[in-house]
Amino acid sequence: MTKPTTALKSILAKRQATILAGAANGLFARVIEDLGYEAVYVTGAGVANMYLGAPDIGLTTLTEIANHVAAIADAVALPLLVDADTGFGNAVNMVRTVKVLERAGAAGLQIEDQVFPKKCGHFAGKEVVPLEEMVAKVKAAVDTRRDGDLQIVARTDARAILGLQAAIDRAGAMIEAGADVTFVEAPTSADELAQIARALPVPQVANIVFGGLTPELGQAQFAELGFGCVLYANASLQAALKASHDVLDALKREGSLASVADRLAGFDVRQRAVDKPKYDELERRYR
Amino acid sequence: MRTTTRLRQLLAGPDMLIAPGAYDGITARLIEQAGYSAAYMTGAGTAASFGLPDYGLLTMTEMVGNAARMTAAMKLPLIADGDTGYGNELNVVRTVQEHERAGTAGIHIEDQVSPKRCGHLEGKELISIEDYVAKIRAAVATRRDPDFVIIARSDARSVAGFDEAVKRVNAALEAGADIGFVESPQSIEEVRLVPQQVKGPCLLNAVWRGKTPQVDMRDAQAMGYRLTILPGMLLKTVYGACDAALASLKEHHRHPTPLFDSDVKDGFRRFGADDWDALRTRFRDPAAEAAE
Repeated sequence: MTKPTTALKSILAKRQATILAGAANGLFARVIEDLGYEAVYVTGAGVANMYLGAPDIGLTTLTEIANHVAAIADAVALPLLVDADTGFGNAVNMVRTVKVLERAGAAGLQIEDQVFPKKCGHFAGKEVVPLEEMVAKVKAAVDTRRDGDLQIVARTDARAILGLQAAIDRAGAMIEAGADVTFVEAPTSADELAQIARALPVPQVANIVFGGLTPELGQAQFAELGFGCVLYANASLQAALKASHDVLDALKREGSLASVADRLAGFDVRQRAVDKPKYDELERRYR
Repeated sequence: MRTTTRLRQLLAGPDMLIAPGAYDGITARLIEQAGYSAAYMTGAGTAASFGLPDYGLLTMTEMVGNAARMTAAMKLPLIADGDTGYGNELNVVRTVQEHERAGTAGIHIEDQVSPKRCGHLEGKELISIEDYVAKIRAAVATRRDPDFVIIARSDARSVAGFDEAVKRVNAALEAGADIGFVESPQSIEEVRLVPQQVKGPCLLNAVWRGKTPQVDMRDAQAMGYRLTILPGMLLKTVYGACDAALASLKEHHRHPTPLFDSDVKDGFRRFGADDWDALRTRFRDPAAEAAE
């Protein structure tokens, strides 16, 4: 069996703009796997939103992310690309972050050059660390991984602060430091996306945040540009949020689910989503 | 009584409070059994118990998890090392929420750049006084229990000088902190000056072979300190005791006589075996048990 790290590496290397849907928990990851996606993106923003009910402003700890990664890794067989934020501190913290998340079951780690604690890439008021510091973090990550195929995806948030060219230059320096893939966060036009893909020699990541800054070119066009993957980190969360809101609102107003029954997964669908038949089979096997 | 309220009572009492440092359930209970009134959770010791140096590598979750283990293991108020609050003032909010839930009676928050370094090491960096005061305000505004004690620590002494450290601690006290903590004064004269210049109750940090000279606890009380912590005392004792036992085994090929020389039962008794034994029968129906 191919290792998840090697599987993720080849997904990114084929530059087919593979869509990585984001999961903040095991259930969303199961849905992603059932639908035949090739990998899962473990979203830091999603964990902050769903676990803490808080925005993506660096409140979740490494321990909490690692616990989520471990649970998701147990729930699905797909490779996990994990949002590791800033590495939760400096280059020395990055060493521990890589050890902990690799052990938790990550196949790739996305690390960024924001000041710790970070903010969502599509928020205002971000700050970036000096390039030397980020280069040191990338080196620390590359040196620490035990599995050489563990993908180090280096993200720069400099586009919004220093401009596109500076962001591309930063990504270039991160590649020199050993990053397998780079991710210039929050370009604001198709032209910028094309410039990024042209300028950088390794597979690129695009991040489509619904209601965010980057235009949704569609998978075909991203593939043409040679992007390695396109993240839809919180499509599942946003869909679930709207559905939960509408259903609970109707329940409160109307005192029953009658008018919103079509918005709910049936009992069987729900049990299939968590693979109940597998657990039934295990129960029989070990009885 | 809540441990927070108890801690405030102790701090208001006639004697300076002495809080030896613990880093797990064993050391917490030993402090209680020895008759101390409060324990201190050392961040450096907690990191050491993970096999790591005090370089800001542990997460807030890990630190608070350790505090929760200790508050469950004893009844004394626990004063915990809250480091920098693990980020900015928003992270401080979460740190205070989590420590209160863990049953911690008070924490200290410092003005180092996050991630931090041990206060008695070189190479520390400071955040601005504005950012620091914002953290203290955040901590004060977040606590649900008004008796939860917020201790303001400044690491400025070795970076920006004694006066800057005092200024920062005073600004933090004005922002609502309950106790001032000037980290690593470097002479007896400085140790003496802290309670004179800090406009509030003061904490003394007794670190073995750190930057601060050793002080007799009675002298510290006479100088005006209200609280002394000894973060590393038990940890260093453990290092030495373990090293000696391990060396003795190698040398003599026999189980060495432990410093605490007890049989198996006595060992468990120090960790509540009698209380748990009483529970073995308490929920059983005596009539049914007798009929069996």
